[in-house]
Amino acid sequence: MSSVPRSTASSSPPAAAEASIQVRDLNYFFGRGDLRKQVLYTISLDLYPGQIVIMTGPSGSGKTTLLTLIGALRSAQEGSLRVLGQELVGLGNRQLVEIRRNIGFIFQAHNLFESLTAAQNVEMAVELTGNFRGKRKQAVDILGQVGLAERADYKPAQLSGGQKQRVAIARALVNQPQLILADEPTAALDKQSGRDVVTLMQHLAQERGCTILMVTHDNRILDVADRIINLVDGRLESDESPQQFVDSHTPKALDQKMFLM
Amino acid sequence: MKFPSLPRIPLAWYNLRNDRPRLLVAVAGVTFAVLLMFMNLGFLGALVSTTSNFYEQFNGDLFLISPQSLEISSTKAFPRERLYQAAGIEGVKQVMPLYAEYALWKNPETGLSRSMFVYAFNPNDPAFLMPELDTLAKRQALKQPNVAFIDRLSRPEFGPQTVGIETEADRRRVTIVGQYDLGGGFAADGTLIMSDQNFLRYFSPRPLTEVNLGMVLLEPGADPQRVKAALEDHLPADVEIYTKSEIILKESRFWIQTTSIGFIFGLGVLVSFVVGTVIVYQILYTDIRDHLREYATLKAIGYSGSYLFKTVIQEAILLALMGYVPGLILSLGLYTMTVNATAGALPLKMTLFRMVFVFALTVTMCSLSGLISVRKAVTADPAEVFA
Repeated sequence: MSSVPRSTASSSPPAAAEASIQVRDLNYFFGRGDLRKQVLYTISLDLYPGQIVIMTGPSGSGKTTLLTLIGALRSAQEGSLRVLGQELVGLGNRQLVEIRRNIGFIFQAHNLFESLTAAQNVEMAVELTGNFRGKRKQAVDILGQVGLAERADYKPAQLSGGQKQRVAIARALVNQPQLILADEPTAALDKQSGRDVVTLMQHLAQERGCTILMVTHDNRILDVADRIINLVDGRLESDESPQQFVDSHTPKALDQKMFLM
Repeated sequence: MKFPSLPRIPLAWYNLRNDRPRLLVAVAGVTFAVLLMFMNLGFLGALVSTTSNFYEQFNGDLFLISPQSLEISSTKAFPRERLYQAAGIEGVKQVMPLYAEYALWKNPETGLSRSMFVYAFNPNDPAFLMPELDTLAKRQALKQPNVAFIDRLSRPEFGPQTVGIETEADRRRVTIVGQYDLGGGFAADGTLIMSDQNFLRYFSPRPLTEVNLGMVLLEPGADPQRVKAALEDHLPADVEIYTKSEIILKESRFWIQTTSIGFIFGLGVLVSFVVGTVIVYQILYTDIRDHLREYATLKAIGYSGSYLFKTVIQEAILLALMGYVPGLILSLGLYTMTVNATAGALPLKMTLFRMVFVFALTVTMCSLSGLISVRKAVTADPAEVFA
């Protein structure tokens, strides 16, 4: 029934760094009773600060489920899931909300409030920290870092797709989270905007030493990853560096959907 | 409108403002509901006051009436001794008997008879406050035999009201010698006022020892409640004592309970309330549905369900405020128009109580819609935004 995932050995932890995400034998089920269906099988995984990790896998493999579990958007049921030093298994809803405030989320759709300007959308995140006085400055600063200083007072409807996604990234980064979770951040963007967005994320990961876990099918950006994890049918299939990943996927084993390099 | 000093981004206001046409529709909906509520309550209040506002013209501080009396036109007479007994109580200045019966009034032009309500009193008593009857000199005319004053507010079917016209009341000659404005409430289509001596002539063999309504005037400075209590102590149980406002309340309560006006206009208010609730619900619900991903995102980045709850309720309250003000202004205009159009017969009056009441209803209405629609936002699954 359960298959042991291939080891996580390929990614050597930076010396003396504590894992920002530590997953041990995590199982997850959807539904209840007769309809109970297991979607994640004994996942074990360590992610370290400064790493950009890309998670790939076919649809329905449980990538998004794992991402939402790590993001404290769902309650973990079995096993152990430590995020930023805090065990998530068994936490209540209120505590999960607290955890989320330390995580930066970037979504496939930008999910910005149309009624708020770019700066205000970012300020919504700053307000969570209780910093009302300096929120405007913080928001404009981070927008400047993503190259949108002049667009701070524009509404999302007046911004291009790439700009909107950059506002969303600014929102995710403004509180300087130690962990950033991203779901297909480049899916809605053209090649150049997509590249800009990941380069930006790469810079920020390096500067601030935060962990970035990204789900993507976008092969154009695989090169920014330090590690690539492959999830199939709820099991961790492989955990490799990008080069290993490319090598191990011989034409015969190539899954066209996920790998068209 | 701007909130420059607010530390928190007023998301509720921005969300509402973002879609101007939708905001306009929502505000128009609330305004409409407010207007309907004001009009229904206005009509109800006006009708209720017409059932009993003739008491305002009765010159009494306290009223004696039989406990078996339902309203002014269906009184059970009580012995006149009760009034004499009451006159002996401290604080009572004067007691005045009032007699009432229906008579058939013949329209002098068409010859058709109709039931007319007749009040009778001793013309020496200052029983009425109407300017045509407020001095002894003006009441002199009533002392002639077979004469009466006629109510200008009587229905036109009773015929001309010109002073000097002669017609028949209960098959006896009668001459109109004066006019006044009183109104018959819900009980009578028209009223007459005559002297007690004439009352004996028209309603023989009814004696004057049986009184329909007793009016008591108090000494200046006497406390009505205290005198009322003293009267209740001294008089037997065949009379009840009311102050003027109490007897007005009793009269209007009778008409609200026994007729359907209370039900009809109460239902009108209820329907307006429901309509308003549905409109606001529709607006809030579509707003939430359109912004569901954004709300879920807020939850994902660490906002709690209670923040979303507050936001939606704030939107609801804002809609209530924005709809109430124009609704109130329009209602005031329509009240004036109605009063003018009915020449004062439907006395729509705005009261502070009604303004507060409708405001409370409006806020309740919007909050209720907010509460119904908020579930969707609060239960928004933050994991959904990753799907």
